[in-house]
Amino acid sequence: MKFNKKDDGTYELDVRGYVCPHPQLYTLKSLEKMQDGMILEVLIDNPSSVESVTQACNGRGYAILEQNSPKAGVTAIKIQK
Amino acid sequence: MAEAKNDRNKIYAAGVVVFLAIISLLYYLSAPVYLYIVAYMWFGFLYGILQQYGRFCMASAWRDLIMVKVPRMFVGVMIGMIALSFIAVFIFNQYPERYHTTQIGLHGLIGGLLFGLGMVFAGGCATGSLYKTGEGNMISLTVLLSLSFAQAIFAVTIFDSIFQRFIEFLPRTSMVELIFGKPAVPAGTEYHLNYADYSFWQHMIADAGVNALLISAILLIGVYVIVVRKGFLRRRAAAITAKSGAAADGGEAKMGFKDEVAGFWSMITSSRRTSIAAILIALVAAGQVFSLAWMADKFDFINFGNVLVHQTASKNAPPSTWPDETYPNDVAVRSGNTVFDPGYWYITTQEAMFAGWSMKTVGLDSHPADGSPGYLENNHYFGDYNGLPRPWLSPAMLLSFGLILGASFKALLAREFKWKFPTRELFIYAVIGGTLMGIGARIALGCNIGAFYAPVAFGDPSGWVFFVGMGLGAYISAKFVNWIANRKMADMDMDFDIEL
Repeated sequence: MKFNKKDDGTYELDVRGYVCPHPQLYTLKSLEKMQDGMILEVLIDNPSSVESVTQACNGRGYAILEQNSPKAGVTAIKIQK
Repeated sequence: MAEAKNDRNKIYAAGVVVFLAIISLLYYLSAPVYLYIVAYMWFGFLYGILQQYGRFCMASAWRDLIMVKVPRMFVGVMIGMIALSFIAVFIFNQYPERYHTTQIGLHGLIGGLLFGLGMVFAGGCATGSLYKTGEGNMISLTVLLSLSFAQAIFAVTIFDSIFQRFIEFLPRTSMVELIFGKPAVPAGTEYHLNYADYSFWQHMIADAGVNALLISAILLIGVYVIVVRKGFLRRRAAAITAKSGAAADGGEAKMGFKDEVAGFWSMITSSRRTSIAAILIALVAAGQVFSLAWMADKFDFINFGNVLVHQTASKNAPPSTWPDETYPNDVAVRSGNTVFDPGYWYITTQEAMFAGWSMKTVGLDSHPADGSPGYLENNHYFGDYNGLPRPWLSPAMLLSFGLILGASFKALLAREFKWKFPTRELFIYAVIGGTLMGIGARIALGCNIGAFYAPVAFGDPSGWVFFVGMGLGAYISAKFVNWIANRKMADMDMDFDIEL
């Protein structure tokens, strides 16, 4: 797992290699620590976690700015708190 | 480059289907009656596709609700179960001999608790681990192997005496019996539940209406009130206020009953793919029960084990559609030459049998000098109930096999297939989780499917006992995993430059 600052107000979280519940857990814990308006870019390779992350963000009012698959089995999600 | 990889995935997906088609043909050519177990395989294939599509893993029904407040899977499970329960009444009306209930008691709660503890560590339930294995996830395969061998070892060591002393004699009941009472039987006669003792409408009201629909609806309302309601109404009030200007009193717009209904509905429809998958899985599950009952009827047997020893239901000589060979060592003699052949969606028992058969095959079974059966064949679980058939003649094993490949097929098409191998941390989680799930499933006489989803849908209240236990176990291990995650994040100093 890697967590880095990309630039002002944007952070990266790489949870590839993890299975449920770790990706959704670390994503939401990271978001909880961030301020409103900040952006988190997450890399996940566990499909069911992607579904849980998007659902959890919708439920909390966080915006999913972008979601794509940079390569097979991997999903990149850009979330604004 | 990306397109070439995509095309390769499609070729692999087609390869999966061709492979299963060839296997099916070989079974048919060997003996047409084997179409019965081939049907299990193809139903497994459909479950695999739909589970992968809907991310249908029952572990997340409790876990994600507790840990990240996401009710998606909880809703999906309930929707699927309600749909299946209503269809099941029609099917059992046609094939009443397929209706059955299991023992209800504390073992369901304890087994469910251990299973719930394990499934959070493992990252998936029993059937979820199967479909995730199909996605190339070797952590889930580790879970499956741990679950299988833990069950088999537990079954041949401690479980026999637990079953005989605490479980075997427990009552079996159904919601129809609880609501409408037992019919009168001659004095001195013990009553045994029989589907035909109750009318179609009694089954519809009690088994589907109360056991599945009413209890599920109460639970869903509870989840809405506890988890979803506050956030939904706050966002809705803010959105209405922003759209129409401040409310007359200067505060936010007032929320009423209509808004509550909208909130509940938004929870039900929050994950379209999970809800669609849940309904389709229910239809497949119903189709499986009906098709297998119909095929057994047509091929003249009650349990597939009967085919392996040439014992027809009609007492006639085996028809030409049956194999010439017999397999007397594969069946459970004491329960009428049967093998595990549930006729509906089931997961863990066949995996325990696979592990038991593997142990027997590599010589881990000790046969006494007098030639009597070894401890594997001679215990209650394998010897009396399920048999130890070779995996390719084990009906439900073919379902698990098909489920893995169905998930692979769908994952390949969706570009979601990815080989993933365990780190030391995830390996430990997988082994602990799989072992706890295996032991829990044996104590409860089934997993999240066999001890919860199917029984509840079929009118058996024992499934709810397991569900409560599963929730308690999931709550405890969710707290533990959350604590580990907090420590890990603190160690990584993840909040190093975030202003709080």
